[in-house]
Amino acid sequence: MKIKRILIANRGEIAVRIMKTARLMNIETVAVKTGVEPNAMYLSSADIIYDNTEDVSEIPVFLDIEKLIAIAIKTQADAVHPGYGFLAENAYFAQKCIDNKIIFIGPAPDAIYKMGNKTIARKIALAGGIPMAMGSEGNISDEDEAVKVAEKIGYPVIIKAASGGGGRGMRIVRKSDEMEKMFNIASKEAEKAFNDPSVFIEKYIENPKHIEFQILGDQHGNVIHLGERECSIQRKHQKLLEEAPSSALDSKLRKQMGTMAVQIASAVNYYSAGTVEFLLDSEKNFYFMEMNTRIQVEHPVTEIITGIDLIEQQIRIANEEKLKYKQEDIKLEGWAIECRINAEDVQAGFAPDPGKIVSLMMPSDPCVRVDTGVQAGSSIVASYDSMIAKLIVKGKDRKEAIKHCKMALDKVWIKGTKTTLPFFRMLVRHQKFQDGNFTTAFIEKDLEKYYFNSEYEEMLAAWLATKLFIEENLNDNSINIDFKHGKDMSPWLLNKRINQF
Amino acid sequence: MTNEKSQIKKLYALSSENRKFSFSLPLKETIRIGKRNYEVKLKSDEKHGTYILWKNRKYPVEIVQSRQNRYEILFNDISYTFTVETPFSLQRMKVLNSKKGKAEQEYVKAPMPGKIIDVLVREGATVLRGEPVVILEAMKMQNEILSPVNGIVVKVAAKANTNVMKDDLLVEIKL
Repeated sequence: MKIKRILIANRGEIAVRIMKTARLMNIETVAVKTGVEPNAMYLSSADIIYDNTEDVSEIPVFLDIEKLIAIAIKTQADAVHPGYGFLAENAYFAQKCIDNKIIFIGPAPDAIYKMGNKTIARKIALAGGIPMAMGSEGNISDEDEAVKVAEKIGYPVIIKAASGGGGRGMRIVRKSDEMEKMFNIASKEAEKAFNDPSVFIEKYIENPKHIEFQILGDQHGNVIHLGERECSIQRKHQKLLEEAPSSALDSKLRKQMGTMAVQIASAVNYYSAGTVEFLLDSEKNFYFMEMNTRIQVEHPVTEIITGIDLIEQQIRIANEEKLKYKQEDIKLEGWAIECRINAEDVQAGFAPDPGKIVSLMMPSDPCVRVDTGVQAGSSIVASYDSMIAKLIVKGKDRKEAIKHCKMALDKVWIKGTKTTLPFFRMLVRHQKFQDGNFTTAFIEKDLEKYYFNSEYEEMLAAWLATKLFIEENLNDNSINIDFKHGKDMSPWLLNKRINQF
Repeated sequence: MTNEKSQIKKLYALSSENRKFSFSLPLKETIRIGKRNYEVKLKSDEKHGTYILWKNRKYPVEIVQSRQNRYEILFNDISYTFTVETPFSLQRMKVLNSKKGKAEQEYVKAPMPGKIIDVLVREGATVLRGEPVVILEAMKMQNEILSPVNGIVVKVAAKANTNVMKDDLLVEIKL
């Protein structure tokens, strides 16, 4: 193994996840300590900590290419793992690593660039005969052109950012008089988020399922897929729950879509782990959406049903090893579900709820895997994403996986911020979810209530309010439980209290 | 305890959705469901913090706000707001509510802290219910803030590229 020491250009759970595999492979890791999270959990998993707390630059270090290269050189790291988000899909960063003789654990800059630019990716897919939603041939220059194109392909259409991803710069347009406004919003958003105002138009597929294929390719031209993940449970294009495999696919459709996914990846000489995303309509027609050239948040569900460690594969591929699996070696076994437990307030439209995690306990059953970068005492800071932990459960089939998920959700104990737990507790009890009968519109269209509470919970809360009222107003002897525990009071609680005045 | 206080026989916890839970005083540590009484205990330890023990299961609880007779309680990760009323105050509230008029202004406030990406309306503009008025970015997510009513924009407090706190006024709409 050429790779002896990896700089993790990331934080949180994915940093912890990468270091775990590196340790198993006897590779050293370097983590970057920042002023925003000087006590973060990921630091304790690293062999070497680079102290960047003195850095007062406005750009977070994980987005600062020059700085990261300098850190890699200074700490003598021979490889960089970008994780997801930040610079994971930045072709310039990948190139910079190569220029400095540092191995970039990911695909070639050329593949990142081509798949990162959605109009180029569309052209590549089109040339390969991959089914796609009808759309504009290239970027759209103004709203008049947008109206013309939309009329040709028929409403509804979706405007997307050429350099986009993650749901930003996307707008659905249902009639021509909305076009001017939506075009301008999408273009402005795209410019702000990706430094590129160019947008294109596609036919909007109503109520599809989101199905993505995990790809692995090596630097010797071998590309295989590891089956699909279903990520239809999403809100505003942010995934909340993912599972593998998908109940919507049979082995014939899986083979067909998987072959297409491999074909797209091969068209850009793809190596490392990657994901080809498709939309699947109610008639089981599928359409190529985009390719993500990084490790995904939801990669664990694939690891569970294939038994393959994707981070290990990324490292081996970066080390120029040949894939030791052929397509026929890949067997999908059992069912896996991942719940993204985020610091969000489901009762307030999933608004982020940053704060200090006061206590955190996760189930330790054999059917449960927890990937987290957070422990009791950690803070969920507003400058990063709101993830607390990924709860991943497995079962022999979908029914058992849901059953295990339900039990596991009841064993998670988090205090300090509001979380998406009540949402998942509702979801696993929902008939349509249990039947596999849901699309990306599920949260917006099929749900009346975003959370679950059992019959007596509100009554018990009412009992507690009444008890407090009595203690504060009617009794002379004060309450014996100290809620206002000065030193341990969460900033979240404190904020809410301050806001009242 | 004053004499008047000790005469209170019942308390009502009214939820924000107007559900009424009544409790007899002195408050018991049991709740009757059907024919059985179940024990309910408020406890606290180092590992769990404060919790309620009910039917052998621990439920995390937190007091988010307590202000006069108004309590916001987080019970098993879900927040509930109650006002606790005595029989007298409940009666008074009913009288007051019946006299209350309808609001004429709607204040659209920031539902979360974040950055204003774009303001989509101008003063004097007519807006329809469900129409986006502001785009607010918070923790990597862009959120369209929608007008909850049909009306005319009388004030635009939000400015693009500025940060707002939760509950800051964004737009004022006259019905």
